[in-house]
Amino acid sequence: MPYDRYETVIGLEVHLQLATESKAFCGDDTTFGMPPNTQVSPISLGHPGTLPRLNARQVEFAVKLAYALNSRVNPVNTFDRKNYFYADLPKGYQITQDKQPICVGGELPVKLGDTWKPIRIHHVHMEEDAGKSIHNLHPRKSLIDLNRAGTPLLEIVTQPDLRSAEEADAFMTGIRQLARYLEISDGNMEEGSLRCDVNVSVRLKGATTLGERCEIKNLNSMRYARQAVEYEVKRQIDLIEAGGKVEQQTLNFDPATGATSPLREKEDAHDYRYFPEPDLPPVVLSPEYLEEVRQELPPLPWEVYAHLTGDNGLSGYDASILFEERETVLLFEAISPYCANKKGIANLLINRLIPYCQEQKIPLDRFPVSPEHLGAFILLIDSGKVSSSIAYQRLFPAMIESPGSSPEALATSLNLLQQGDDDFLADLVHQVIGAYPDKVNEYQKGKKGLMGFFMGELMKRSKGKADPAKATQMLSEALKS
Amino acid sequence: MTIDETLIYRLEHLTRLELRPEEREALKIDLNKILQMVETLEGLDLTGIEPLVYVSGSGAALREDEVWGQVAVSQALENAPDQDGTYFLAPKVIDLKK
Repeated sequence: MPYDRYETVIGLEVHLQLATESKAFCGDDTTFGMPPNTQVSPISLGHPGTLPRLNARQVEFAVKLAYALNSRVNPVNTFDRKNYFYADLPKGYQITQDKQPICVGGELPVKLGDTWKPIRIHHVHMEEDAGKSIHNLHPRKSLIDLNRAGTPLLEIVTQPDLRSAEEADAFMTGIRQLARYLEISDGNMEEGSLRCDVNVSVRLKGATTLGERCEIKNLNSMRYARQAVEYEVKRQIDLIEAGGKVEQQTLNFDPATGATSPLREKEDAHDYRYFPEPDLPPVVLSPEYLEEVRQELPPLPWEVYAHLTGDNGLSGYDASILFEERETVLLFEAISPYCANKKGIANLLINRLIPYCQEQKIPLDRFPVSPEHLGAFILLIDSGKVSSSIAYQRLFPAMIESPGSSPEALATSLNLLQQGDDDFLADLVHQVIGAYPDKVNEYQKGKKGLMGFFMGELMKRSKGKADPAKATQMLSEALKS
Repeated sequence: MTIDETLIYRLEHLTRLELRPEEREALKIDLNKILQMVETLEGLDLTGIEPLVYVSGSGAALREDEVWGQVAVSQALENAPDQDGTYFLAPKVIDLKK
């Protein structure tokens, strides 16, 4: 197979739409899904005589991401104009950062199965989004909606460190997770908050230079990105094997056919004529400001993962589910002071709380029961006061119904506490032995398998509340005599 | 660099302008003059001097992240050469049959 002799090299340009209230350079609302052209103003419409003013929160979010990625922040960074004509770009240029982006370098640790691979970041820059063109609603016209025009974006450009479609997928998952931890974006791919352009090339394994690359534009789902990469790798290898040469070009991916095809573009279209944006002075960031933003950084996903598997002794499997969303980790941390059994907390979250909240379509932090009561719930099971099956089947729903009551109080009022006290058990043992003299006889003659029968009878009479371990012990004592 | 017909056509395309032949001639002369001036400037020894890009000398004043200043759809569409009350209408730039 010729394919085995080649290595895939991928670099990504990720566009992250920021969770600000207003746009990058004016006060238009950024809420998703509003009626067309209702979130516009003379500035986003590109009217003459208007001036852009930069949103402080876009800068803050960029600096946050920079520190999370361990990038170097450019304390003086500048904006440039990228010129091109398109109907959904009213000004005729996009305001972006070309010469002096806000962050340079850094890396994102990406989780690949059980290991972490650092993917180097080339730079991150601030820019604005374009509007939306709709081509299929009118026979002769393209419809333009400028609600999105001017929405703040961060573009994250990686080094060509990714080696497969799976790694590209893992990087996107990691960036989405990081953005959500930092609360700078919802990372919602369906709504276009997270998109990527993929640069793909192939080279013979062991080669030190990069092959000629093709760029696949605007992939808004990971499934498409994977398909596009897989198709493109095969296309490039086939081309080289047939004696051809890969030419650097921009490609479109068609989800319907699963194929890439060259974007119909004239050579001139790439002449963006970048020049410094004269309407925006440089962004100057003081050391105090930078330090302030840095102090606000939450624990980062890879740190959280290490904490879960290290200090808390959880398995990689449990940790990888818990650390997916920051709110899950926060709830885990909130329950921890009330319960030393970390595995118990993990199980409760993974098997009950997360599925419950998904079913009810509520965020985890709106789960009705307090962390203190959740911790007490686990302790009730661990101490043997309530059997685990009764706890999950009856006590857990009761706690959701009456979140104000402590689990112990609820268990008592519902009569769910396991009876471990000697008098109660002794009485039951006495009852069972008294009810089946024949079986006792058989047992004493050596039919030890009857123990299960006696225990079953005892549990039935206790309505499931007897502590099984203690009951077994007392029964076998009583049967000896 | 010389300003010739080819370059003028390319600039026309980039700026989406269509010039009359006499305008084209006049522009060719203007652009050549501008280039000559730049060439004169290039004769200066600028070693160790930072390019002057911004003259104000101060950093950008940032804006609070607040919603303000939007206009109604009707106002937004008012100046559009073509619109349908909801959208701006532009000539179709994509061939869907492909």
